[in-house]
Amino acid sequence: MLLRGIVSAPLPSTLSLKASARPSQNASLSFSISDQELESRGFSLRRSIADLNLDHLNSVFVAVGFPKRDTEKIRVALENTESVQWVEYRKTQRPVAFARATGDGVFNAIIWDVVVDPSFQGIGLGKAVMERLLEELLGKGITNIGLYSEPRVLGFYRPLGFVADPDGIRGMVYSRKRNNKF
Amino acid sequence: MLDICIFVTSVLFFPARRKLKVCQTRASFWESIRSGFLKNNTTQVIEPPSTNQEEEEPLPEEFVLVEKTLADGAIEQIIFSSGGDVDVYDLQALCDKVGWPRRPLSKLSAALKNSYMVATLHSLRKSPGEERNEQKKLIGMARATSDHAFNATIWDVLVDPSYQGQGLGKALVEKTIRALLQRDIGNITLFADSQVVEFYRNLGFEPDPEGIKGMFWHPRY
Repeated sequence: MLLRGIVSAPLPSTLSLKASARPSQNASLSFSISDQELESRGFSLRRSIADLNLDHLNSVFVAVGFPKRDTEKIRVALENTESVQWVEYRKTQRPVAFARATGDGVFNAIIWDVVVDPSFQGIGLGKAVMERLLEELLGKGITNIGLYSEPRVLGFYRPLGFVADPDGIRGMVYSRKRNNKF
Repeated sequence: MLDICIFVTSVLFFPARRKLKVCQTRASFWESIRSGFLKNNTTQVIEPPSTNQEEEEPLPEEFVLVEKTLADGAIEQIIFSSGGDVDVYDLQALCDKVGWPRRPLSKLSAALKNSYMVATLHSLRKSPGEERNEQKKLIGMARATSDHAFNATIWDVLVDPSYQGQGLGKALVEKTIRALLQRDIGNITLFADSQVVEFYRNLGFEPDPEGIKGMFWHPRY
């Protein structure tokens, strides 16, 4: 399955993964690190926001340099987010990795807020949440999956299959400062 | 005969089959409205240019953007709406007109339903003496997905080719942005084909702010 393995260049279109391809029974074997492996190391993979402590999540956001956001606004955002994938460190019962995707449920999805607690970086947790999030989106038939990457983490997304500015397409952001709106 | 540049206000990232020839209009919004004056046409622009103060006034869900009297005495109004009332068959016909590959109606319908905002332009034509018989036609659409709190992404911006070159695409996007800002969505994003990057720059969008890059998963060119 496509999600495993390092891809340094986009696959030619003849080889690109068909959206309809369902993961095999043992889907976790297709990931870089399996669910079992993560469990055995003390990490739980979670998809529901029900048990997610938003203050703890917020502290991870702040730890990686995001501006501090209102917890209630985070709750609204998550309630209106199509897919969420997070990792809980069972010992502390705190989230240590997180990613979410918004979209229209059929054509397009955008991945936001991909974070790994600095104390847990470098051991594959970011890749773990990303691979599972991608699998969930592809499973729904969504093949147009985008994100906005800070320059220093382009190298994290490329091996996962992401291409910057494909065919000259540019990510753009509305700037209120440019328009004298504060 | 005024040579009008046709531009496609398309931000949807789509497989290469959709490639369209475009040329950029550099006219400002109001110049392009004025350039719509042709021969015996009378165009009355109802919606004034947005000033900073006016930005604060709540945008009505539906309003007349442009009204013009046609040569035959009929009145045509272009109506903007953020209410999202789109007939999916009309939308498919519009997508056909701009040359986009067909998408299943059920999926189009679901995509609209799952969008945070669907903005439309309709043309309403009233013939003189036949006020009861109004012809309403979908001529433009833009939609945005969002988490209702922080981020919104604009997709599928399109204007009927026969109505392009009049500044309607700009108006459509501008009003959509304003509606999103009024709902307190702070981060408005989109992905622009290279030919329309300038169009969106003129509307206040910045490519790669602080070096942040748009990326796609295994794009099919």
